[in-house]
Amino acid sequence: MMATATETSTPREPTQGAPADTIHITERAAKVMRAQLDKRGTPQGAIRFGIRGGGCTGYSYMFQFEDGDPRGTDKVVDAAFGVRVYVDPKSMVLIKGTTIDFETGMRGHGFKFANPNIGGSCGCGESVAF
Amino acid sequence: MVDIQEDPGALFQIEEPTSSAPKLRTPGLAIGIDLGTTHSLVALASHGAAPRALPDTSGQPLLHSVVSYVDGVTVGARAMAQRVSHPSDVIVSVKRFMGRGTADVATLPHPYRIQAPSAGEADVVRFDVAGDRRVTPMEVSAEILAELARRAEAELGQWPTGAVITVPAYFDDAQRQATKDAGRIAGLQVMRLLAEPTAAALAYGLDRGGQGLFAIYDLGGGTFDISILRLRDGVFQVLATGGDSALGGDDFDRAIAEHLLGVAGIEGDDRQMWAEALVAARAAKEALTDEVSVSVTLERAGLTGHELRREAVEALLEPIARRTIVACRATLKDAGLRPKELDGVVLVGGSTRVPLVRRLVAETFKQEPLGDIDPDKVVAYGAAVQADILSGSEREGVTLLDVVPLSLGLETMGGIVEKIIPRNATIPIGARQVFTNYSEKQTGMVVHVVQGERELADDCRSLAKFTLQGIPRLPPSMARVEVTFELDADALLTVTARELMTGVKQTVEVKPTYGLTDEEVDTLVMDSLDHAAEDFDARNLAEARVELGRVLLAVKTARVEVGHIDALLPPDERAQVDAAIAAAEAAMAGEGEESLVAVRERLEKVSEGFARRRMERALLAGMQGHTLHEIESAIAAEDDLAPRRGSHEPEQL
Repeated sequence: MMATATETSTPREPTQGAPADTIHITERAAKVMRAQLDKRGTPQGAIRFGIRGGGCTGYSYMFQFEDGDPRGTDKVVDAAFGVRVYVDPKSMVLIKGTTIDFETGMRGHGFKFANPNIGGSCGCGESVAF
Repeated sequence: MVDIQEDPGALFQIEEPTSSAPKLRTPGLAIGIDLGTTHSLVALASHGAAPRALPDTSGQPLLHSVVSYVDGVTVGARAMAQRVSHPSDVIVSVKRFMGRGTADVATLPHPYRIQAPSAGEADVVRFDVAGDRRVTPMEVSAEILAELARRAEAELGQWPTGAVITVPAYFDDAQRQATKDAGRIAGLQVMRLLAEPTAAALAYGLDRGGQGLFAIYDLGGGTFDISILRLRDGVFQVLATGGDSALGGDDFDRAIAEHLLGVAGIEGDDRQMWAEALVAARAAKEALTDEVSVSVTLERAGLTGHELRREAVEALLEPIARRTIVACRATLKDAGLRPKELDGVVLVGGSTRVPLVRRLVAETFKQEPLGDIDPDKVVAYGAAVQADILSGSEREGVTLLDVVPLSLGLETMGGIVEKIIPRNATIPIGARQVFTNYSEKQTGMVVHVVQGERELADDCRSLAKFTLQGIPRLPPSMARVEVTFELDADALLTVTARELMTGVKQTVEVKPTYGLTDEEVDTLVMDSLDHAAEDFDARNLAEARVELGRVLLAVKTARVEVGHIDALLPPDERAQVDAAIAAAEAAMAGEGEESLVAVRERLEKVSEGFARRRMERALLAGMQGHTLHEIESAIAAEDDLAPRRGSHEPEQL
């Protein structure tokens, strides 16, 4: 199934079963991304979202500006305000269904990733505690 | 399923792409790795401390450089144990394959399934291993590096911020690049590749002596290096290096194994028999360091209690050991030195434990060699010291100058090599030379970069080839193309060709011929991630089974003890507990729909009240006959213990 452009204004409920191979970006998050891209002087730029690290030692998110074109195998997710987010196929396995939101609060402001693939809420039910 | 090491509530900022490069200068968090042919190890020398090797959980610092793909991916001793039964799926001495093409390794004896690359694929060795996987030597090495990095992670409480990995001085650019890529695949920031002899000199603190001339004799499992270092004004300079990147203790093992199979009257090449003979040969060689005779039994080959004497084995090993001596003499000559001008000779590598080797070295250099630091660890120690310096620790800095192991040059008309950077030049170094056109019609120039000492390009190793276009039409010998070679501190090469009249320019960072593009390396990095997820799942599953088994045993034991005492276990609860036990047993047997974790959690939940009542009763029984004071102090002691117990909780790494 081809994933369609997602212009969600609220985080979607996690879907039943396996999430589709895409991620969601809330309008609020897209608005901040747009503002930061403009401020950086690269309104045509994109955001790269993925996972890096390896081994059995856990992963960390990669979340950065990307000035180049997407690589051939990248998935390009279109968000509101013309923001594009690139996700490489391997990272997609681990972050599909993630909703990127932007939060302001006591802990400061920043992007928040709700990743359904993490922890006990995932399909297999296996714990990840070391 | 996936464990991402972030606080679930964490907030993120978009980073600049450049900021993805980990901070190198985090003092104290960088490691030194000796990625050896037979053994590898990791050492740490944080904040100027003396280096120490980090052992595995059973206290063993040396990791067999062996990766098994038989049952998932295992590294080290467990992989080694599968070697005899699965010789093609357990990769041993992978270092020999680093940065080599399939043609390069055709003459190496090995039991692996290596197919010629399919069309369009880079000519990289790919092992066909169990589980339908094809892995490159870089990926295999990455498994070893990652295993070592995990030890460091356990020690440091976080993933190391950087690593110095040692390579034989003789490694060419392709092999160095392959080593760097392996580090990248393992998730390590490779701060520097360090020549092994230079690392050994650092470990011996030869830098503190002020000045001198030293020879480093390094006979490892699969490589032999001899290096002549000069120390002057606290600065090391490698005067000359030589050796053989396909000679080492493995050759000793093979010679002994061939001898053993010969004695057993075995011919042909039965892989399992060969692997068994190799294991026995290695054990015999090690035993003969201290013993004069050892008895060998090969079950598969039908050899029982064969007595091997040290003299007989030395006769087998001597021709191989002599080859190292030939290289020593040639290298001394390169450096323009005679043996007696040396102030010291350092022994590196486990094979220097062989008494024959020590004897030959002492004879050749006319002095007793230095061997008081464990020859297996000395290189890792030096790497750790260098890593500490590079990470920004306030350790007395040592400036290291390295040399180019093999000359770098260009192919010119007629296939002749024009050397641009001569061998043994110190690095970093830049050199340039101007070339000209040979005809008016020539508008392009092929720049073919080669490495080696031979005069014809065909005999040298091809590193890169590119074409500079846009040369103006000029009479012969009038166009001017300047070619610049720049070699960085890791001995990795950038070549620039510029036409001086028009300024047209082309640059390549030489990705030597084993030829993985950045993209392919990226793919490998991501593939390793892929398998990490698989490995991770497998591990979680195994852990869940262990945990469920533990809880199940405890509950069943208690259940049997209690029998039908209603006060402890009321009938309705008893039914629930029994049902949960049944479900758990089914889950352990691989039946049932529920996950192991869900079953365990339910079992724990329904047996909670029952466990509490049992505990209370046990406490009550324990308290009878004790004074209140005794009980209070027992409780206080218990409270004291609690926080310390807490600290033994597995820490989130």
